[in-house]
Parts: sequence; C-alpha cells; structure tokens
Amino acid sequence: MSNVAKDLVRFLATSALVMLLAVTLTFVVDPLQIFRRAHLFAAMYSQDSRMQDAGLIRSQDFDTVFMGTSLALHFRQSDIDRVLGVHSLKLSLNGSTSVEQNFVLAAALERHVKMVLWEMDDWIFHDAPGIDSNVYLPADLYRRNLGGVASYLFSGAMARESAWILARSIPPIEKPVAWLTTGVIFKFPIDRVDDINVLRPGFDVAGTYNAKKSFAAFKYITDPVRSIYLADGADYDRMVRNFERDAIGLIAAHPGVTFEIYFPPYSILQWVAMRDASPGTFEQVYNFTAYVSRRLTSFRNVQLYDFREASEVTHDLNNYADVIHHSPTIDLKVLSWLAEGKYLVDPSAPTASLDRLKAQMEAYRVEDVER
Amino acid sequence: MLFNYYPFIFLFLPIALIGYFALGRFSHLAPVIWLVLASLAFYAVSNWQFVALLLASIAFNYLIGWLLIAAQLRGGVRFGVLTIDVAGDLIVLGTFKYAGFLATNLNAIFGAGLSVHILLPVGISFYTFTQIAFLVDAYRGNVARYALPHYALFVTYFPHLIAGPILHHRDMIPQFEAAESKSPNPHLILCGLMIFAIGLFKKTGLADGIQPLVALAFSPEAVPSFEQAWIGALAYTFQLYFDFSGYSDMAIGISLMFGIFLPLNFNSPYKATSIVDFWRRWHMTLSQFLRDYLYIPLGGNRHGRVLRYVNLMITMGLGGLWHGAAWTFVAWGALHGVYLCVNHVWTHFGPAAPPRFARAAEWAAFVLTFLAVVVAWVFFRADSMASALSVLSKMVDPTQGSFGRVEMANMMFVAVYAGIAWLAPNTQAIMGYHHNNRTVGETLGAWSRRPAFLYVSAAVLAFGILGIQQHSEFIYFRF
Repeated sequence: MSNVAKDLVRFLATSALVMLLAVTLTFVVDPLQIFRRAHLFAAMYSQDSRMQDAGLIRSQDFDTVFMGTSLALHFRQSDIDRVLGVHSLKLSLNGSTSVEQNFVLAAALERHVKMVLWEMDDWIFHDAPGIDSNVYLPADLYRRNLGGVASYLFSGAMARESAWILARSIPPIEKPVAWLTTGVIFKFPIDRVDDINVLRPGFDVAGTYNAKKSFAAFKYITDPVRSIYLADGADYDRMVRNFERDAIGLIAAHPGVTFEIYFPPYSILQWVAMRDASPGTFEQVYNFTAYVSRRLTSFRNVQLYDFREASEVTHDLNNYADVIHHSPTIDLKVLSWLAEGKYLVDPSAPTASLDRLKAQMEAYRVEDVER
Repeated sequence: MLFNYYPFIFLFLPIALIGYFALGRFSHLAPVIWLVLASLAFYAVSNWQFVALLLASIAFNYLIGWLLIAAQLRGGVRFGVLTIDVAGDLIVLGTFKYAGFLATNLNAIFGAGLSVHILLPVGISFYTFTQIAFLVDAYRGNVARYALPHYALFVTYFPHLIAGPILHHRDMIPQFEAAESKSPNPHLILCGLMIFAIGLFKKTGLADGIQPLVALAFSPEAVPSFEQAWIGALAYTFQLYFDFSGYSDMAIGISLMFGIFLPLNFNSPYKATSIVDFWRRWHMTLSQFLRDYLYIPLGGNRHGRVLRYVNLMITMGLGGLWHGAAWTFVAWGALHGVYLCVNHVWTHFGPAAPPRFARAAEWAAFVLTFLAVVVAWVFFRADSMASALSVLSKMVDPTQGSFGRVEMANMMFVAVYAGIAWLAPNTQAIMGYHHNNRTVGETLGAWSRRPAFLYVSAAVLAFGILGIQQHSEFIYFRF
C-alpha cells in the first residue's frame, strides 16, 4: 500500500474515531436525559418543546400532563400543581397540530398518567403532515427505536450541547459559559423544568398585552386584503376526521385517564373578526365546535370547559397581545376556573355555551372600542 | 439530492466513484457516460419532473453549437442562429423564473388579476448561463467541436449542476477528455476528501449554527431592536458566506476525487479592501461570466466614463435579478452597481493617501467595504423591500437598543464568526489548491507535519457529518 493510500485509510479511520468520541460524549452527558436522569452534570433544559418533551417524558415524575398550543405555553407547572393539587408535566407545543399533540400525549400516557389537561383550539385539527414527515419533532426519539436513538447520539448539535453542558459544570468557566448560553446558539439555557417556556423575569407584560395591540391585530386580520386567511385551512369534514382520529381516538383508548379539556378564552375580537370579515368561517367553527362539544361530553372520562364565553376576561382587551393570545394573569385565571369547575359544559346542553358566545359576538360593537 | 445528505455521502458518491474508475480501466468514453447518468440520477432524486427540461436544453444548445461550429454558415445567418439560441434559453429561464414576478408586477400596476404558479427547476440559472457562454464562444470561433457525451457532462456534471461554480467549457471539457482522470489517484482523492470535509464543516458547523441569529432580524414575526438588527444582518453576512463557500468547497472536493479541477468561487471576500476587490473574491465564476458575457459586450469601459458606469449598473442590476425574481435582488444588484461606480470614481478622482497614512487608509477601506456589503445583504435576505428598509431603519437607530445580556452574548458569537472569516486562511490556502496549475496538496509541508494536519481535517470531516441536519438546504439552491 502506498503512503498516500495509508494516509487515506488513516484519515477515514480518524474520522470514524472522532465520531465515536462525540457519540460517547452525548451518551454520557445526555442533554435530553433520554437514558437516565442527570446526575453527573447539572440538568439543563431547552425551550424547543418538540425536542425537549421527548426527554421530559422519560426523566420527570408526573401524574398529570398539560398539552396545548402557544395559548398554553407560558403556564408554570408549579402554578398548575398548586392550584389543582396535581403533579404535572407541561408538554405544550407552540403552533402545534392535533397530529403532534396526539403523538406526544400518547407517548406520555405510557407513563401511568391520571389526568390530561388539554387546551384545545379548533384550528389544531386543520390538515397536517404525518408525524414521520415532521422534521421538527423527532418522532423516533419518542419511540426510542434504533433510528431515534442513533439520530440523537450521532447528532453534532447534541454533541456540541453536551460539550457546552460539560463546560458549564467546570467551576472556573461556569459563569462565562452560563452567560453565553442564551438559548439561541446553545439550546439548553434553563436549569429548572418549571422555567421552560415561561416569560422571563422583567418581561414587559403591560407593553405586550394591551388593548392597543389587540385592536391593531383585529384591524390587521380584518383588512380585506388579509381576511381571506381567516378561513385558511378550515374544512369541516377534514377537521371532524382529524378530531376523531387525534382526540377521540386517544380518549377512547385511555378510559382510565381523566381528560380535562378546555376551549381557551380568545378575545371577543376573534369572533367579531369572523362576524365582520368572514361569516362563513364562523359558521364552520360554530358547527365544528358544536360537534366537538357533543362528542367530548359523551365520554365519561372527559370534562369539557368552554372559557370562550368568559366575558369578564374576553371583553377586556388589555388581557391580550393580539386577538387570541392572553396574558400570564389569565393563565392563573384559567387554572382557578378549572379548580372551581367554572364554565363546565353541561353534557345535557353541550352547545349552550356556544350559543351564549354567539349572542355576545352579535351584540358586540367595534365602534365602542374605537371611541 | 444535497451534498449534506447521508445517502449522498455514504451511497451515491462511493458508487459514482467506483463505477467511474472501474469503467475507466476499459474505456475513456464509458466513464464519461457513467458520470452523465450519475449526474442525471443525482438531479432526478429531488427534481425528476425537470430532467426532461434539462435534457431538452442540452440537446437544443448542442445542436445550435454544432450549427455554429461545424456548419458552413454565413455571418448574418450565424448571428441569427446565436440570437435564436440565446433568446430560446432566456425565454425558458424567464418563463420558469420570472413569469410569476412579472405577473405580480402587472397585477400591482394594472390590477391585471394574473395568477402564475410555476415551480422553479433547481439549477436552471446555472446550466442556462453555462450553455450561453459556450454558444457565444462558439459564435466567436473560440470553440472546437466537442463530442455529445463530453458536452452533456459539461452541463450536467453533478458537483456543479445545482449551484455552480459556473463552469467554462474550455476549462472543463479537456479535463473530461483527458485519459489520466479516468484512473484513481489516491493523492487527489485524499485532498478531495479534505476539501470536502472543510466545505461540509463550513455548512453544517458554521452556516447552520448561526442561522438562529439571522432569524432575530429577518423572521416574519421579528421586531428587531437596534442591536438585534445588526446581529441579524451580520449573522446573515457570515451565514451566506460559509453556506455558499462551503458548498463550493464541497463541489471542488468531490470533483477532485474524480481527478477534475473545478474553478475557485471564493477567495476570502470579507478581507476585501474595496468593492472591486470584493467582486474579485465573491462568487468569482459569476463575476467572470458577467464581465465576459454581459459587461464587455455592452461596451465595458471602451466608450467613456459615463457609459462605463451605465454598463456597470446594467450588469449588476441584471446580476441581482439573476439571483431571484424579486425587487429586493434588483435593489441588491443596483446597490452594488452604485458601489462599483463610486469605487471607480474614487480611484480616478480621489486623493491618494499619504504614505504614513496608507495603513490607516487601508483599514478604513476594509471597514467601509465590509459595512457596504452588509447593508446590501439586508436587501438580499429580506422577504420584501419594506422588510429590508425596516431592518435598515433599526440599524441606524440606537435609541431602539436594549443592550441586554442576551444581545451581548449573541454579539460574541458573531465576533467568533468574524474572526474566522477575517483571520483564518481560506480553503485553497490551507490545501494549496491551484486550479490553473492543476496542483493540490503540495504545500501541506514535510511528512513530519502532515499527520497532525491529516488528523485535524479528519476531525473536521467527522464534525461536518455529525452536523448534518434533516432540514438544511443550501441558500444558493433557490437561485
């Protein structure tokens, strides 16, 4: 063998060796705590719920899981535990679809869960790609199959995060490394599970949630140029099919688990926007949620809450950053309503709350707000 | 198929190499045909619906080339044939790339209500330009007659097909015809692997790593502060460089394994001390194409200063439009046209720096050039003119700054990237790659130094492969 050929073999062998070292580092540090709870190094957590949840489900103790979209993202687990007397794990996924929520919940329900708290938007049931086509959610890692574990261990990003977490545990450089860990370049900046995706201290709540911003959002989405997007993806038959598959399928398969499901308190402007700019969309949403309410309340292990009619919150536009996203104060309000059983939908009149919401919407006058 | 894709690295490339060299033992033509087929397979994996268009383009241009080279046509007829060909190529390119843009503008002006949704064939801008250059040279009488397999390989050669470098037939086809490239050369394969490793690491380790900072300024929901706008603009400046130069390195490295030397596309562009200098270092094969086949035919600098500036503006404006069907790209090109005009005016009329201030002047020129390039990249990256102007307005308004810990920490990461781009030697300097001399790896030093270099570059390959993400395309694929 010539010297160059030997160099070539040496080059390829060294590459393989370095990869094995990186794999070993990821296995030992285990940033997502897939293989074991953190004990050699301090546990660190990421804001990227689609990735982080795969580890949380394995590493945390819980009897209740909390699922939802961006409207359920900023809740604190400690608040849920305190108000509802449970031991919860927040799994909410920003901008998630029912396909994702169903998949993550199903993985969590393998861990002897007693209760599922579920913030349910109607639009999560729009058509979405299958879970294995979703590049942002590592489905195989949730399944813990060979492909999932290999993609975790052979990930340069995970090796880099592992090295960073390792560096953070070395006392002389701990502080500068922590200072540089912002969650943007290095993805594991959080050292308490309770702090995952909560608003950071000093966050400008009043500047983010106020009537000016929510009304500006209303004007934006009702602009004739954009109002067509209010109906984007809303197809009644498909939404019913997805709801049956992703929500009813899960509920029916777990009769021993209590599902506390709530429709979140959108601001009244969301409904008024549909009334004024896209009445057909409101009709679709009305029909769909009427169907959903009837179906959910037919299950013994489901309690359904409809907070959309909670006018003391939904009519106060200072609670909102746009037409749907409410402030952390309302997070606590939602928990207290759940604890008190307020706005619980009566199985004998599953659409009564929806009709009260419709009456509120029809009576609402935008001109009063503008003045 | 992408270079940063496991099936490409572990399946396609080894099979292509083995088949090429195995066939090279029996024939000089068979490996060429094998590479054409491999290149078409490479293209078809993610663009199967446009393979027919690619083949039709090759057939059309080869036929016209044959008419210009071999047929005894008179001057006027020859010009007519060339005109038909260039028009044909540009009509196809225009239809696929610019019809939607045209419809959008007609709708905006006349309320025409046109709706055009045409998928862009990947690589069409590159293979169209490559072939136009071939035919213009054929018309000028600067081309010998090439066999169809060699011409087809010149167009489809997979290391360059999708995002360049833009190849020149005089450079490439003689290499495809050469017998020595058909047998494996372990030295070239090793050097090719090392260059590929550097390119892959630039892409997966550097460009993909800084992407989250770009989003601070350019994501649709971003409302950047003063420093976030700067971090985003600077991060994109480095992301684009490491992404595209990484791609070009990978193309050069892959090609080298086949014994084929591709032209350089980058030469540390952010070390430039003028805009003219920048364009000699950035996307060099495009700059050369625009100079030889647009700027000089327009008249170049042969008809006085004013027309020279007009030609520069036209060349750069069209160069911008070549990158994408949007006004932001036109603005980017036009801005660089203005920069070049100012550069030439300054060179002609500006005072020379006194010798004792020469170093300071060079530093000032370097900083000014870099800032001008960053400002232009804002247009290149932004989704709309309004978005670009919004980011730029934030960049000049320090009162909107928060100067918090997160921003300062992020700025530190940008500084690391700047350090690499400004201070580190580039790939060709590290590897001693000389395209014109057809040499590589001769500057790696004595054997005693070589093992360390070998192991470091092996580690770079390992990190590059580990860094591969499922959802990471090369930025220049969409051009």
